[in-house]
Amino acid sequence: MFRFALKNILFYRGRSITTFALTFISTILFIVYVSMMDGSHKSMLENALKVYTGAIEIYHKDYRDIGGNEYLIEDVKAITNKLSTIKGIQAYTTRYETYGLLSSKEHSAASMLAGIEPEKEKDLSSIARALREGEFLDEDSGNCLYMGKGLVEKLKLKLGAEVSFIGSASDDSFAAEIFKLCGVFKTGSSEFDSSVSFVNRTYFDKVMYTDNKASYINIKLDDLDNVDQVNEKIINILNDESLESLTWKTLMKTMVEAMEVDSIFGYISLALFLVVIFFVIMIYGFINVSSRIKEFGVLRCIGLCRADVFSLLFYEIVILSSLAVALATPIAAYICYYYSINPIVIEGMSEMYKDYGIVSDEIPFDFNLLTISWNLGVIYLLNILSVIYPYFYINSFRPIEATRHV
Amino acid sequence: MYRIFILILTLTTVLTADEARLIIQKVDNNIRGKNIYMKISMKIVSLRHTRSMQMENWSQGSKKSFVKIVYPPKDRGITFLSLDNQMWQYVPKIERTIKIPPSMMLQNWMGSNITNDDMVKQSSIVEDYTPRIVKREGKLVTMELIPKEEAAVVWAKVVSLIDISTYTSQKDIFYDEEGEAVRVFLYDKVKKFGEYYLPTYWRVEPMDKDNSFTEIILEDVKYDISISDQYFRKSALKRFSR
Amino acid sequence: MFKLIVKMAWKNSFLRLSRTLLVIIMIAVSMSMMLGIQGLYDGMADTMIDKNRRSGSGDVSIFAKGYRVNKDLQYRIKNADELSAEIKKIEGVKELVLRVKAEGLLSTARKSSFASMQGIDLRAEESFGDFSEFLKEGEINLEGQGALIGLELAKRLKVTIGSKLVFSTQDSSGEINSIALRIRAIMQTTNIVLDTNAIFIDAKKMHRFLGTDSSEATQIAIMTADKKTNDLLKANFSDLDVKSFLQLQPMMKQMQDVMIIFNSITFFIVMTVVFIGILGVMYVSVLDRIREFGIAMGIGMQYRYIRIQICLEALFVGFIGYLGGALLGALFLLYLRDYGLDLSAFSDALEMWGYASTIKGTIKISYFTTTFAAIISASLFSVFIPLRKIKRLNPIEVIKAEK
Repeated sequence: MFRFALKNILFYRGRSITTFALTFISTILFIVYVSMMDGSHKSMLENALKVYTGAIEIYHKDYRDIGGNEYLIEDVKAITNKLSTIKGIQAYTTRYETYGLLSSKEHSAASMLAGIEPEKEKDLSSIARALREGEFLDEDSGNCLYMGKGLVEKLKLKLGAEVSFIGSASDDSFAAEIFKLCGVFKTGSSEFDSSVSFVNRTYFDKVMYTDNKASYINIKLDDLDNVDQVNEKIINILNDESLESLTWKTLMKTMVEAMEVDSIFGYISLALFLVVIFFVIMIYGFINVSSRIKEFGVLRCIGLCRADVFSLLFYEIVILSSLAVALATPIAAYICYYYSINPIVIEGMSEMYKDYGIVSDEIPFDFNLLTISWNLGVIYLLNILSVIYPYFYINSFRPIEATRHV
Repeated sequence: MYRIFILILTLTTVLTADEARLIIQKVDNNIRGKNIYMKISMKIVSLRHTRSMQMENWSQGSKKSFVKIVYPPKDRGITFLSLDNQMWQYVPKIERTIKIPPSMMLQNWMGSNITNDDMVKQSSIVEDYTPRIVKREGKLVTMELIPKEEAAVVWAKVVSLIDISTYTSQKDIFYDEEGEAVRVFLYDKVKKFGEYYLPTYWRVEPMDKDNSFTEIILEDVKYDISISDQYFRKSALKRFSR
Repeated sequence: MFKLIVKMAWKNSFLRLSRTLLVIIMIAVSMSMMLGIQGLYDGMADTMIDKNRRSGSGDVSIFAKGYRVNKDLQYRIKNADELSAEIKKIEGVKELVLRVKAEGLLSTARKSSFASMQGIDLRAEESFGDFSEFLKEGEINLEGQGALIGLELAKRLKVTIGSKLVFSTQDSSGEINSIALRIRAIMQTTNIVLDTNAIFIDAKKMHRFLGTDSSEATQIAIMTADKKTNDLLKANFSDLDVKSFLQLQPMMKQMQDVMIIFNSITFFIVMTVVFIGILGVMYVSVLDRIREFGIAMGIGMQYRYIRIQICLEALFVGFIGYLGGALLGALFLLYLRDYGLDLSAFSDALEMWGYASTIKGTIKISYFTTTFAAIISASLFSVFIPLRKIKRLNPIEVIKAEK
């Protein structure tokens, strides 16, 4: 049967070429489109994470719900020592966040002030790269303040100006300090930029009595895909009921849902393409089969049974699709691979969509063998389904009738 | 600062509807327009730490108030001035006078369990609530206070336990709309000042946080003393900081 | 002659019934799915833009200079009622509404949040933007302490219908004032800013609370007939801050543009594949009858009649496919318009981004007209190659030839 199928394919070139071409195109389309969708979601996520949220964050229970100085993490060093033993963690840093009043000569504004470890933050988040004026912080920054552009404008400050801070220390006592504006940043998120300032932890800890304490620990991973496994390891090593370790999936739940919605719409459109292509492949298969009615009639008369007829059709389509897929997959895979390393850049996209959290102009593709495999599976399935109707059509003819067919 | 005391004072003297209203109005009228000096100790206890403060307060009427922190030494010299509806703070450590924007004034006061609601309220308890006697046991009367529809208070109900021998409250429980208790005010150590009784020990406890409360002790209360106008000027912030 | 050709074309189209039916089904299904998707996407974008306009700025909004940056009550339009009368006289102005807004703190017994209280005139808002359509739960009633709250704000404060809230802010004299409110309804405008921050009360009550005069407003929102009117307004009121909808929300226009691009690409790809399908069938059907055509031409039939016949065959199939697709598509679109796609499993994310959890589609005539043009063109183009084959026929050879 197999060789017979092969001969038929070569003989009926028109149908073979069209089916081959259609399968080829649809495979590439499917793989590339899914890869682009997955890639853009991943990049959206990474970008959102890079700004400030971590892939994994460790909190004291209730800090996220209630907040305040009651639920700070005590003895941070013990935890970070344990973290450095875990593989998969690329970097981590501790932050102490508090809310207070910042005042310039004429204006005041409520702001979140975060004590950070400048050297570590450079690796972990993009706040250092968001620098617009002045300098980012370092170990010796002392009372330097790194402030968001929106806040700088609200307080009408210039670089080097003095800013006074009043708030509550970690033991709820009065805290007050004079800072100096050393750097201005702009992340693109206008809410973030008009309510957040950063200061060197070493200095801030003295003012707020937060040495060896933290609001939370921010963790960056080697590979975002391993987030759940690494989190498991962290929870086991910490072994502390009062702490919780959360992945971005919980921290950014709405973003996850938004990506799912986007995926649904993407798949709906893909489904449309595949349905149309399926129909056309089926039509060509049908035409081909209906022009061979006499042939099949003869075959049935000389003893070919129904099962063999089906295998014949089956082999034909499998050979055609395999050829098409074999050719298309490397090409599509290469496209995905290339664009995952060198993403497509749409100039100005981040400006347009910054309110939705998109901060980069790049659209990288996602190169994932598992995804590609199931994509191929779908294509094969559709192709095989396309011969079902032609098969039943053929069988509706009695062999003698068929041989007489015009 | 002054307004909390008005609230608590008036709360302590609620009785039956008419009687209560008469007395409260008298108290209200008497306190308003008078000068008061108070020395107060405050202890704020939470899960992790305990904090003690001592402060002195000078008030004239209901619009002018000057507060100076005298303890702990670290915070000594911090002063607050409340004039009409504006508030300033002076912090000697950084030698700066800072104007507190209204939005900050509406937040939790100095980490204690006293909320914006207390600070901002302008109408007295008589105007905002309809009182009802629920139980009488000797000299203790349990009163239920339901806020009027237009009253700008967040509580659905306040239940007070009043000692009618001194017309002071021993306990006030504040309820939310679901009928759950949100916080409790406890009063003790009633003393007589001039014509009025005043509990000199107060304790505020939130119901949703364990082991967390704020204690206020009135160490010294003087009525009708003459308070210099100097206290109610911006220059007072730095001058009386020492 | 022509009638004969038409008849022949018709009969020939259905010669191989299954084959023709398959093509018709393909066209119908593809077209209807595509129509459905287009309607859905357009619906999403249009609904969002429309709701934003109606609940927010209208086509044009007027503010006092400095208000948008400082959001302070001192930056209000003092003679708003006079201005409104003037504006209404301008040709092209359809509807107008005054709003008074103040930022402050909204509290329950357990939680507080920053919020924006807006004083509105219910009747004016209704004729301005069908305000009652934004109702999600409860009843729109601003009497007494009644207030309407945005969906996300209600979630954040954990309040529901009947809950009591207190709003505190600085009034026009600088005093801090509080007002008691009872939630009568929860609104979902899909305007993110409103849903996460706004609480609505009656305008008169707002004025009394803030101590402002009823002739004043923080915003004048206007619905206009066309862009010319917008420009006219900008010119006439240059001492105030006059901004159009797109200036206040540039994102909306970009969203629309992205949708158009996306829909066009989908359309193009689908039509191309449909074309390939029709091509295959027509080609084979002509090939099957090559002997017939050869004989016909041999006995004197002119080529152009054959060309007309084959074109007609393709057109018949295309047209019937189109009718099927239009019918199915119309059903799809009607369902989507009236019932929508239910994505309530993802309502949290959708609401955060300003979408309702059920997405409704729109119906536009252009869907049907452009598809019609595309299918007809596809049908006609598809016979190009078969026709060339016939043209080059040598009748004698054809008669002799075996298939």
